Amino acid sequence: MSYREKIAWLYLAAMAVTYGPYFLITALHPPGDALPNLHQVWRFAMTAGAHAILAGGGQAAIFLQNREEARQPLDERDLAILHRSRTYAYYTLLSGTILVGCFLPIQHRGWTLVNGTLLAIVVAESVQNGFAAASYRRQAGGEA
Amino acid sequence: MDGPLTNKVRTLRFLHGEMSQAELGRRIGVTRQTIAAIEAGKYSPSLEAAFRIAEVFQVPLEEVFQWRAEGPEKAAP
Repeated sequence: MSYREKIAWLYLAAMAVTYGPYFLITALHPPGDALPNLHQVWRFAMTAGAHAILAGGGQAAIFLQNREEARQPLDERDLAILHRSRTYAYYTLLSGTILVGCFLPIQHRGWTLVNGTLLAIVVAESVQNGFAAASYRRQAGGEA
Repeated sequence: MDGPLTNKVRTLRFLHGEMSQAELGRRIGVTRQTIAAIEAGKYSPSLEAAFRIAEVFQVPLEEVFQWRAEGPEKAAP
């Protein structure tokens, strides 16, 4: 598995194991809109911190195992995958933003809007890394 | 991405002293994984990369890459 594929899988997994539980808990126990809601802020801070540690630590570990490959600049295939995955992520984020900005305020407010925006970002990021990881996997050839 | 574009990169590497994918990649400016993907027919290189590969092996482009137009019999459902 190439260095960039490992990184894409890592980012995808880090997002799933941190923001997945965050949104699950938030859905099961919706936060109140009374301010300041430090409990919800703390929950988000813990999630963001855990994500940063997992993604950052994982990236450092993968870098140390694949130093030579990690230092190579992106080639035309990497750039093509990056371009396509970013395009999909852009349209995902655009759709999420339209949903949160135009339709969600009709019936919701406060933390629902905040978490809706956060969900749009997380889904867009996951779409990018998921598409990149799948592309690298699909194009993986043999022989070392 | 199996398509009508095929190539003889693996054969040409063999004929050039079993040149490694990494070496070929280094000479044309792409990664070993990209060469592996090209050989497996899972990635179609840019025109520039294709010409660079042909240049490395000192052969015309059409000797490295072959393209076959889809016939009408294949286009039928």
